[in-house]
Amino acid sequence: MLRTEKVLQLRGQQGRSVRVVREHYLRPDVPCRSALCRAACPRDGKLLSDDVTHYVVPDCKVVQDYLEILEFPELKGIIFMQTACQAVQHQKGRRQYNKLRNLVKDARHDCIVFANEFHQHSYLPREKGESMDKWQTRSIYNAAVWYYNHCLGQMPVVMVTEDEDAIRQYGNETEGVFVISFKNYLDNFWPDLKAAHELFDSILQTRRERESESQENNGKEYPEHLPVEILEAGIKSGRYIQGTLNVNKHRAQVEAFVRLQGFGSKETELQSDILIYGARARNRAIHGDVVAVELLPLQEWKGRTVALCENETEDKALADTSGDPMPTGKVVGIIQKNWRDYVVTFPSKEENQSQGRNAQKVLVTPWDYRIPKIRISTQQAEALQEYRVVVRIDSWESTSVYPNGHFVRVLGKIGDLEGEIAAILVENSICVAPFSEIQMSEMPTSSSKNPWKVNPEEEKKRLDLRDTHLIFSIDPKGCEDVDDALSVRTLPNGNLELGVHIADVTHFVAANSYTDVEARARATTYYLADRRYDMLPSVLSADICSLLSGVDRYAVSVLWELEKESYEMLRVCYNKTIIRSAYKLVYEAAQGLLDGDTNVVDDIPELKNLDERTKQKKLSDLVWAISKLTDIARHVRAKRDSCGALELEGVEIRVQLDDKNNIHDLIPKQPLEVHETVAECMILANHWVAKKISEHFPHQALLRQHPPPRQEFFTELRECASAKGFSIDTRSNKALAESLDKANDPLDPIVNKLLRSMATHAMSNAVYFSTGSCPKEEFHHYGLALEKYTHFTSPIRRYADIVVHRLLMAATLKETKGDVKDNIFSNKDLQELCRHINNRNRAAQRAQKQSTELFQCMYFKDKTPETDERCVADGVIYSIRTNGVLVFVPRYGIKGAAYMKNKEGLVIACQGDKSCEWKPGSLHRFQNKITSTTTTGESVTLSLFDHITVKILVQTSRCHADTIKLEITRNATYQTSDTEVSQKNFHVVKSDLVKQVSQSAEAAQRAQEKARVDVIDEDYQEYCQTKGASLYQLLEEIRDLALLDVSADIRT
Amino acid sequence: MAAPELLSDEGYRADGRRPAELRKVRARMGVFAQADGSAYIEQGNTKALAVVYGPHEMRGSRSKALPDRALVNCQYSMATFSTGERRRRPHGDRQAGELALHLKQTFEAAILTHLYPRSQIDIYVQILQADGGNYCACVNAATLAVMDAGIPMRDYVCACSAGLAEDTPLADRSPEEAAGGPRLVLALLPASGQIALLQLSARLHQERLEAALEAAGQACRALHAVLDRVVRDRLREVTALLGD
Repeated sequence: MLRTEKVLQLRGQQGRSVRVVREHYLRPDVPCRSALCRAACPRDGKLLSDDVTHYVVPDCKVVQDYLEILEFPELKGIIFMQTACQAVQHQKGRRQYNKLRNLVKDARHDCIVFANEFHQHSYLPREKGESMDKWQTRSIYNAAVWYYNHCLGQMPVVMVTEDEDAIRQYGNETEGVFVISFKNYLDNFWPDLKAAHELFDSILQTRRERESESQENNGKEYPEHLPVEILEAGIKSGRYIQGTLNVNKHRAQVEAFVRLQGFGSKETELQSDILIYGARARNRAIHGDVVAVELLPLQEWKGRTVALCENETEDKALADTSGDPMPTGKVVGIIQKNWRDYVVTFPSKEENQSQGRNAQKVLVTPWDYRIPKIRISTQQAEALQEYRVVVRIDSWESTSVYPNGHFVRVLGKIGDLEGEIAAILVENSICVAPFSEIQMSEMPTSSSKNPWKVNPEEEKKRLDLRDTHLIFSIDPKGCEDVDDALSVRTLPNGNLELGVHIADVTHFVAANSYTDVEARARATTYYLADRRYDMLPSVLSADICSLLSGVDRYAVSVLWELEKESYEMLRVCYNKTIIRSAYKLVYEAAQGLLDGDTNVVDDIPELKNLDERTKQKKLSDLVWAISKLTDIARHVRAKRDSCGALELEGVEIRVQLDDKNNIHDLIPKQPLEVHETVAECMILANHWVAKKISEHFPHQALLRQHPPPRQEFFTELRECASAKGFSIDTRSNKALAESLDKANDPLDPIVNKLLRSMATHAMSNAVYFSTGSCPKEEFHHYGLALEKYTHFTSPIRRYADIVVHRLLMAATLKETKGDVKDNIFSNKDLQELCRHINNRNRAAQRAQKQSTELFQCMYFKDKTPETDERCVADGVIYSIRTNGVLVFVPRYGIKGAAYMKNKEGLVIACQGDKSCEWKPGSLHRFQNKITSTTTTGESVTLSLFDHITVKILVQTSRCHADTIKLEITRNATYQTSDTEVSQKNFHVVKSDLVKQVSQSAEAAQRAQEKARVDVIDEDYQEYCQTKGASLYQLLEEIRDLALLDVSADIRT
Repeated sequence: MAAPELLSDEGYRADGRRPAELRKVRARMGVFAQADGSAYIEQGNTKALAVVYGPHEMRGSRSKALPDRALVNCQYSMATFSTGERRRRPHGDRQAGELALHLKQTFEAAILTHLYPRSQIDIYVQILQADGGNYCACVNAATLAVMDAGIPMRDYVCACSAGLAEDTPLADRSPEEAAGGPRLVLALLPASGQIALLQLSARLHQERLEAALEAAGQACRALHAVLDRVVRDRLREVTALLGD
């Protein structure tokens, strides 16, 4: 036995290449396994028969690519050289190799393996610098020659190879050993074997295709990302553009947009987003990532899709549906990955089978349409089929179509209320673990037996308003967390003093305490359709910080001195105070007092059990205070209106579009003036606090801005309005407000609502910011028409207010005690915090909207649309698309898409009685209308603001949230759509929903009861707070109820 | 890429050996003149050098001296260049300490230590190139070195490893075979069949132990033949020199 060595370069543990020397033993006694052998080879096992015309030796490439042909039983006398077998094993993987092994083992096939590399005479060492392919071909040829000689030339040997050089080089070298190409071999030796020839052609073709493909992408699914340095340099030079990737929810497979940010946008004249078309161009970026984009040449620009479509249908004819070309680019690198936890669903059993028996790798579908499928390695795929599951993405290699992830935890069963709510929370990255013990231990104690008391030390430091001021709060019924109270009195000099008192939350929540850190992380109280998750522990929010009547509470007060006649602001001061609220009024009672309605007096608990004279005295004081307040508020409001404050919030809209409205009352709310009064006082306080803190901390105050909208976003609004003959002036907030007021169709009040909702659509969101990071001109608040604004009045449920409280305290103390800079954020930190709060607010709104949709779907799910008349409703068309219309259903406040062309390509047609059915035909879209013409010549035209009857269906989806789908049933107003009947219907709806959901799950029932309480909380949130807050909440709710996301809608 | 198979259907291992075949062994005794005994061995690409001093008086603390027999002191080390990636082990690692202990146990069993009470025998082994089976090479080299020093032993100590491919035992595992299956290391006194050390890493079914042990024992006996030839050659050489 001879010993030689092979030197290999291998990858070491740390990825370094290591030189490895391996032994290689050669022997003279490798059996040739031929029946012809005259030497002393052992003849056990399978032998190569001697009744063939030749032996054939395929080389590596032939074995790899044409093994299927070599499997034909007609082909006899095949010698697989060990070299070729090893090449298959290394390059083709286990499956192909096992196929080869089985072929050799199969006694019916006349083929053997010859271990040429272990034979002393047939082994050739690889020469220095020789390529692997060349060496393999040389070895195999050498082995073939040896074999021929070993059999003493009794049998010619044919070596088949695809290597042209080898054919040239070895073709005539040895007599009796022929080297030819595989095609030649088949043609010459097996001309009659049709099947083999056909198979050969088809293999050749697929191989060519694959080659041409791999030339394009080097065998990779995606191009590599560029290194960071190149990206940075490229972004600086303007070659690449940095932005955040937004995937279009409705066409998640192909369409994504990059919203510009950073350096790129300043230098390029690009105003719009950049379209990223297709998965390859997106290059493994996931929704929310910050990416670097390279623009494609102009001729490759594409238009966005304007047709309605569902995610499930992936391939549609795109040619006729795309709009004007817009800047199109491709992702060249990911600057920051914003991967989070994703909720996914495992494929069901049927789907799973199609994925092959290798069930360890499973493709799971995320709940969010915008996230690609994720490949998971798990053994539990079957057990987890029925559950919503959280996964994390680990990596996404350029060679992989899908990202790799791993399983984290189970949320709950699909379709189960708790599970779905948990899914919504995870999807919005909302963490609502109960408050920990250590956080609770920071809280002061208060119980009914042992109520919390004022600390005498603290009492000295604070201004005592308990005996001097008549303080009262006005809130909706059943409100627990009262964070604001009002007062007004006449000063000795005859002037008036107006006071706004806000609960002093910061006294109990020390900066950087555990509770503070937790509240900062939550940033806001989350209101879902049926529950809420508090920002602060309830001992604060419902007790110690709640300004209840008859108890002493700490407060932060803003007191203004007003001139008695003109209400001119003479002086303002900000103080830490102790107050005792005298009355906790509800809106209705306050309004009653204002109107002189004495019946409401009985509803005020504080006035009970008093003798008649004191009662009358107290009552007249209170009535005076309320009417004075109202007077002042009117005055302030008028001043603000003259500056152009927007009044988008029609009272009716507020009720109609309240996202609760399937469980909320639909009766138009009596517009109470006290709502306005309270709101105006809050705006006033917010405004003055904003002034104060921005003066004292010009570079690190937290304010709230509302940038003016871009004019081009109003195009759709103007066009829609012109369809009805209105003109909308969008040049300034004042002009817009006035023209919206005028655009009122007396016959159809919904038109005005829709126009207003479109207007809010076009506007940007109000956001928190730090004054140091923004030029002074941009501080302006567009909607409220104030130059400075902040949030100060709800510290119990917004973290921004807590920050503002601290700033205000620092500002006022600064006047008295010099610098108190502790606990004040620097500009950079504050900006970071603002970004966080803004993000959390958006998440809260999204979660609220999604949970509402969840309830809507659960409600409609059990109804049979054919028989249940509650599923049929009146709808108004508010937007036209190429294959359908967007419809608003006022009764349920639902917006949705209604198709005019179904999946079979049939279009809608109208009967004599105006009911609709599907018929073959075509659609034509015009600016303000869409016409469907059937092949028989009938046609239906739907225009903007037409009333139609729609059927509400729920489109269920296993992996995603269910969605509401609308179907046009009649091209006419729903008969029973007059208010009275619909109201009656609605009450049925309300009780029904509660009943049904409670039947479905006990947990849901409890949640539902809570939901009623929450509705009140919602009212509280909407009405008793600053008008600013409720306005934006409302605007954003309207916006969120829209079908498409903003990026998609604004620009269509 | 499919994982390489340990044993092909044709019955060859990855390096071309058949299951029972050893790697090539080459050995020399008396490579150092100043030591009492020394030996060099190659088993495949594993190269080991063993040097023996003694028996001599106790060095260092005399309190360690054993009243009835000699103390066997073993040291094991690997040259920094012995592996593909250069790694400095100035004080030796845990593995080296363990291996030295095994060596000590092995040779305490083989050397007739009761002949040299209150004295000490030092065995120093260094791996020059590591390519699997370090312990075995060390034992074999040390055996030769002890013999070269003229210290009486009960028998040769021969060590060899064995692995399993499915059901077939593989003698003298090469490093690329380390990926699969359990490893059995056996140090045998071939004449008596006594086992000086048996080490088994990873779980092995009871039924297969016998087969693996048999294969390892066979390999040890084969090694014994090789070592014996080396010793005899050396002896012939030395006597020839003396004869001059």
